[in-house]
Amino acid sequence: MSQVETFYEVMRKQGITRRSFMKYCSLTASALGLGPAFVPKIAHAMETKPRTPVIWVNGLECTCCSESFIRGAHPLAKDVVLSMISLDYSHTLMAAAGHAAEAALEDTIQKYKGNYILAVEGNPPLNEDGMFCIVGGKPFVEQLRHAAKDAKAIISWGACASYGCVQAASPNPTRATPVHKVITDKPIIKVPGCPPIAEVMTGVITYMLTFDRLPELDRQGRPAMFYGQRIHDKCYRRPHFDAGQFVEAWDDENARKGYCLYKMGCKGPTTYNACSTVRWNEGTSFPIQSGHGCIGCSEDGFWDQGSFYDRLTNIKAFGVEANADQVGLTATGVVGGGVAVHAAISALKRAQKKTQAKVEG
Amino acid sequence: MSEPQAARLVLGPFNRVEGDLEVALDISDGRVARAEVSSPLYRGFERMLEGRDPRDALVLTPRICGICSISQSAAAAAALGDAMGLRPTRQGAAMTALIHATENVADHLAHFHLFFMPDFARPDYAGKSWHRRAIERFTALEGSAQRSAVEARTRLLHVMGLLAGKWPHTLAIQPGGVTRAPGLSEKARLQATLRSFRRYLEGVVFGGKLEEFAAIASLEGLMRWTHGDAALFLEIAEDLGLETLGRGAGRYLSYGAYALESGPVFAAGVWEGRLKPLDTRGIVEDLTHAWMRGDAAHPWDGATEPDEAMAAPGYSWCKAPRLDGKAFEVGALARQVVDGHPLAVALAGGGVLARVAGRLLELARTQIVMERLAAEIEPGAPYMARGELPHTGRGAGLVEAARGALGHWLRIEGGRIVGYQIIAPTTWNFSPRDGSGMPGPLEAALEGIAVEGPGALAVQHVVRSFDPCMVCTVH
Repeated sequence: MSQVETFYEVMRKQGITRRSFMKYCSLTASALGLGPAFVPKIAHAMETKPRTPVIWVNGLECTCCSESFIRGAHPLAKDVVLSMISLDYSHTLMAAAGHAAEAALEDTIQKYKGNYILAVEGNPPLNEDGMFCIVGGKPFVEQLRHAAKDAKAIISWGACASYGCVQAASPNPTRATPVHKVITDKPIIKVPGCPPIAEVMTGVITYMLTFDRLPELDRQGRPAMFYGQRIHDKCYRRPHFDAGQFVEAWDDENARKGYCLYKMGCKGPTTYNACSTVRWNEGTSFPIQSGHGCIGCSEDGFWDQGSFYDRLTNIKAFGVEANADQVGLTATGVVGGGVAVHAAISALKRAQKKTQAKVEG
Repeated sequence: MSEPQAARLVLGPFNRVEGDLEVALDISDGRVARAEVSSPLYRGFERMLEGRDPRDALVLTPRICGICSISQSAAAAAALGDAMGLRPTRQGAAMTALIHATENVADHLAHFHLFFMPDFARPDYAGKSWHRRAIERFTALEGSAQRSAVEARTRLLHVMGLLAGKWPHTLAIQPGGVTRAPGLSEKARLQATLRSFRRYLEGVVFGGKLEEFAAIASLEGLMRWTHGDAALFLEIAEDLGLETLGRGAGRYLSYGAYALESGPVFAAGVWEGRLKPLDTRGIVEDLTHAWMRGDAAHPWDGATEPDEAMAAPGYSWCKAPRLDGKAFEVGALARQVVDGHPLAVALAGGGVLARVAGRLLELARTQIVMERLAAEIEPGAPYMARGELPHTGRGAGLVEAARGALGHWLRIEGGRIVGYQIIAPTTWNFSPRDGSGMPGPLEAALEGIAVEGPGALAVQHVVRSFDPCMVCTVH
């Protein structure tokens, strides 16, 4: 294998100052939930270790992941990570086109055999021998298999690569298939969400680049540091849920008071993601803050759980007999902790058996 | 682009493009004799919508495209609203317009900086008087203009955070308005965000007052603009003759952008040398050269049946939309021409320069509109009207995405979607030939272009001047 520069050398070449470099190290440490003691460790690692090459490929998708990513959290983090990635192969962002681009991909694979991270945005459609998504005259699934063969690890960006997302929605016309069902012999880290939050993307990739290993994953293969809690757990509207105060219709009085959106179909209680803590667009807001419930876009199969709205308002979530409306009525009539406890327990119950929660008919 | 002798060149994949695109060129005497534009991607969205609750379109259709996801949201909400006989409240319509305009402006900015200009920094142009400046400003991922554009765009998209919760893929736009009723503090933050974006536009992109750029009324006036990155582009355009490169047929279509209570901000209509009213009943999607089964049909009657055999004469997954039997170009230039802006009318029928200048003009004009919408926010006003979905009915949602006219045609029976047809801007611009052999707008614009020697990048410029967004041609 040829000589590869260290991260630090690359960053200096990209015009990043020593001061910015140290700032980047401390940003990284805090983004990953590590203490200040880790800053010199990260700095040392980046000064001494050869940088990890990244190949970023796009299959059947909408580029929302790239879009989210290029507006990443801190401009510095984004710059650094982008400059690393651009050195190798990125379908959406690189300068070369056509055959030159394909050659760049091949070069990178050969040069860093067994040592690069393959980041996959989108997924391969398998119907008709993969002819529904063609890259460089070949089905994307071939490019994926080819690039995966010599990869050290794979990142599945977003709901598409992780689970299939909307193009896999019934009847899944193209048989869009998540990456882990096509590539079975490599470590795969899933970063679901449609798209994933930019800070989560930079956080995951920075962790992998810096420490040269996968972050701790949960049983579904998601990084636990970002997907360890439900949106509901840290939602700023949670007190209203606990108090049984719900929005009943779009733009009603309760909506203006910022009440809980559970009865409008919010999936916050069953969705594991960092939206309510990290938030979106540089921490400005997140869907629940905009007055619309969470649709659970980082959960497997979110696109095929019945209608997004219908099932939500009629859902039989609270035990078998009562639905959310009845609980809401009780809640407005009774003051005190009993209802709140009941509601909270029910939500947990609902979380445990979310698949049974479809409305009949 | 490496084998200029070949009788047929296949270009692709294009990157710095949303989705995948292939262009096959028949070459004769070093020039393009015939172009075939192919969309090698099919996702089947129209099929997966069938049988679902109509409201699901609000969640599924934005995911057609992560770059113009708000446009898809707005079209789906408009189609549902049309079926419900529901009009958004005044402020609901205004906030929908503001969210939508923010996305379109962000798209124009990304196109200019990230997708279009970097080609002028390529070594092929070494020696040109402007080349060093193009490198400094626009080298892919490194140019100084690129960095500042991405940062300005990120800040602008705080509007999305404030009004739409997240971007891409918001759910805030509903048939009756928006879910987020901004209060006084959001109003102040929105206005501050827009002021900061104006400072960027006036300081960097235009190097002058937006109102002055928006007041330019002729091609000569445009070429006299001497400030900002806009001037660098104009200098390059003059040197390379981009005005005549990739000329369009001069037929433009716009559904009208940003439907406020008082009417659209940019007018709806059709331009064929003069302005005509738009009658969408004349729209037909021709399938002759698409890998689709079935007959040409209006989107009310259309279906999406992919031909897995990918049989000739088909060469694309993209259908060929036509209005009254003719191909139409859509996009910022089309919108501005149809709106009757004197500079756009002067540019009508033009090529690469006209399309890119049309976007710059729209960028300036839209920013002014967005500031007005934010200033007119009334905290406490109703932001959402409520209505009932019909058990059986239909609705059309016609909006203007950054890249042009976007239509959703929805049919409901028994409370479920039985038909959902989408014609995206790229379906218009990058359409294959129709039954009569008439090429799509890009195919026509590529004919006659030199593919060798100093003009080797010309094809790239023409393709990118349309701002391809291939995932939207998904059907």
